[in-house]
Formats: sequence, C-alpha cells, structure tokens
Amino acid sequence: MTQKRDDTGCNNTNCMCDDATTRRRFLQHVTTITLGAMSLTVLPGASADGELPGDQEDSPGESKERPIFGFLVDTEKCIGSGKCLTACRVENNVPDGYHRTWVERYVHFKDGTVQVDLVPETGYSGSGLPSIDSDDVDRAYFVPKLCNQCEDAPCNQVCPVHASFTSPEGVELIDTERCIGCAYCVQACPYGTRFINPETGTADKCTWCYHRIMRDEQPACVEACPVGARVFGRLDDPESEISKRIAAIPTQVLKAHLGTHPKTRYVRISDEVT
Amino acid sequence: MRFFSDTRHLWILLVLIAAVGGGFLAVRGRMVPESFGQHGPYRAEALTEIASQPSVFQADSVCHECHQDVQEERAESLHKAVRCTHCHGLGREHVVRARKAAESPGFAIDPAAEWDGSFLTDIDLFTTHDRKTCLVCHEAVVGMPEDFRKINVAEHLEEMEASEPTSREACFECHGGHDTAP
Repeated sequence: MTQKRDDTGCNNTNCMCDDATTRRRFLQHVTTITLGAMSLTVLPGASADGELPGDQEDSPGESKERPIFGFLVDTEKCIGSGKCLTACRVENNVPDGYHRTWVERYVHFKDGTVQVDLVPETGYSGSGLPSIDSDDVDRAYFVPKLCNQCEDAPCNQVCPVHASFTSPEGVELIDTERCIGCAYCVQACPYGTRFINPETGTADKCTWCYHRIMRDEQPACVEACPVGARVFGRLDDPESEISKRIAAIPTQVLKAHLGTHPKTRYVRISDEVT
Repeated sequence: MRFFSDTRHLWILLVLIAAVGGGFLAVRGRMVPESFGQHGPYRAEALTEIASQPSVFQADSVCHECHQDVQEERAESLHKAVRCTHCHGLGREHVVRARKAAESPGFAIDPAAEWDGSFLTDIDLFTTHDRKTCLVCHEAVVGMPEDFRKINVAEHLEEMEASEPTSREACFECHGGHDTAP
C-alpha cells in the first residue's frame, strides 16, 4: 500500500480527501478575509476615533479661535488673606469643609522642621490659631493650590464613564450628568484637588471657572486676589500678562517627575512644595 | 459544490451574529449620548452646560458703573487692587436692585447695612469701619512677603503714641479706606 501525499496535505488514503480539501480551503478563506478586514481598520481615515482630534489639529482656523489658557501662581506675592477662598466658594457653590482651591502656608523653622498649615478662609487675624514667633523661622511663604489642569491628566485616564475630560481649551472638566461618583479620579489625582461633592454625589474640582473664562472674565479667585498672586490668561496670546511673565521669569510645576505636565505654573517654589 | 451542500448551520450562525450585533448596536445607541465624540471621547454638550453657569462673584467694573467717584478715588491708591466686595459684601442683590432702579425711577435701593463682623456673612451689602476689615490682610503673619505692609497692632500704636485701648474704628482715625494715604 503506497501512501500518496497530495497538495491538500492529505496523507491518509482512507480519509475522504474531498472533505479535507474543503476544510483547508475554508481556513484559507477565513484567514484571508480576516486579515483583509483587519488591514482596512488601520488604513488612514478608516478609524472613527482618529478623525476628530486630527481634524482639530489640522485646521489652523479652528485652533486660532480656541484659546489656550494658563494659570500662574506667584507665591512671592500671596499674603494669605483668604479672599480667593470666599470668592471660589460663592462662585462655585462649594459645600462647607470642601475646597476647589486652598492656600497652604509653609514655615521653615530654624531647627530644620517644616510646618505646613491651611490658611483659614477668614485669614489668620482673629482666627485663634497659635501665632508663630518670627525669630524661630528661617523663611515662610503661602502657596495657593488649585487644579493643575494636567495635559496628561491621570484623573481622565481612570474615569470609567468618560465623565472626566479635557475641553478643547485644555481645561479639565467634569460632566456631572455622566459622573457616577465612583471617586476613582479622586484617588488618581496626585495633587488632591478632587473631592466628591456631598450635595451632588459627583466628583468636583476647580475648573479655572470655565463658565467665567469662556465669556472673557477672570476666574473668581483671580478676580478676588488683592495682591496679584494669581495670574490667569491666554498662553496663545504672546501679549497677555501671563505669557510675558512665563517668558521672563523661571516658573515650575508641581510634582514634575510624575509626567502629568500641569498647566498651572508656580513662580520660584522650593522643592518642599508638592 | 459540496462546500455549500448543507448551509443550515451557516444560516443559524448568521442569524445569531445578526441578533447579537443588532442587540449591541441598539443598546449602544441608547447608552451613548448623542453628542459623544464630537470633540473627543466625552459628551460635547457638557461643555455648553458648564459654560452656561452664571457668574456670581462681581468684578469691580460692575460697581464702578454707578460709583465712578469711588473708582477715581481709588485709581491711584495703594488699595486699587483691593476688590469692592472685600469690604462691602458680595452685593448681588444690590446690583440687581440698582439695575432695576436705573430702568424705573422711584424704585428704592436698600441702603447698605452695618457689617456684622463675620467674613462669611450673609449680608448682601455693608459698610464697615471695623479694624478687623483692615487686619484680615494687614496684621503681621509669618509667611507674608517682605514688601507687604504688615501691622503689629501693639507696636504700631506705640509708634504712633496712641492711647490704649483703641476703638474698633481706630484705623480710620488716621487712614482712609478707598484712598489709604498716609
């Protein structure tokens, strides 16, 4: 008995070679169709997701209309009066005990210790907080904190329902209609700027007063600051105050090593500030 | 061809795929908001919803629409960056009433109340000559910038050879509010 090996690969003379032929051809067809279909999806323009961002970047007319905003915090000017806190609270209806923005005081004592405390909304005067003897202190300064509006925002990446997103102007926003209040983003934010609003049950945080800035007003905290410690403006306009200042003086971002690329910048802060 | 001799199982497969696929598309159509994906992977309508919130905190320019005299008084003052709202309250109702009064003469605008001493007050509009208003910013606190005008009340009174105890209005005996000179 001779064994015959034909082009179908059938080497069993007892088998039904017709069946083996069709199975092999069937698999070949399936492979061809599958690979062909897969190759279609990687062709340019075939992906629905790829179209939108590309459209925005490629049309210069549209990108000119859309402002790119920036925020600069000058810790050398802040006096810790807490006026920004009141302004933010009334503007954004922030519940008691929660903050969209807050001001920290860093006190470096002569013995090497560093104390960080929270500026009360009503300022230190009359707050009853223990006063610090300036003779014991090397240096001290106030650091206003708010959402850093990261370009690579960890909060956006973890949102399971796409309720956390970046607006075309580069502002991180929360869609309260979609937010399910899972607080994943609250944990993801390395700067602790997010909280779950007990009144709405959704995530909440500083939006740079998106509703104000879109009608050419300043954010409430910037409007309220009596010493110009908070500067807000358009980065795409080289004549704006913020563009000029960022060009002229060294500025840093918080926790730069995390690679979140914040758009809130700080003037000459020390390493201790995080 | 024998390949298509028995197509029943293929039809079952096709119907199954159509049913599952159709069901998926139907559910997806209901679950995904209409404007999703317009600018990116989010509901584009949320942008206009958030942007349509009213502005609450008033800029000084709103106050200056009527109070030009104060604007002029403060124009060269060191206090020109201090906001009206800091010493006079948020004045939201006041502005609404003032605008109404401008349209219909005879409509009375409530006079400003006296400050109750709380920085978290609910009083819409107030006047104050309380030194707390000054000290919330100017009382010397560790952490303030070098060039900011810091006041240690006890030392300052000694310097000025003032007699103690001082009244609540003590600051205004020597200093102006709108114009801080000297």
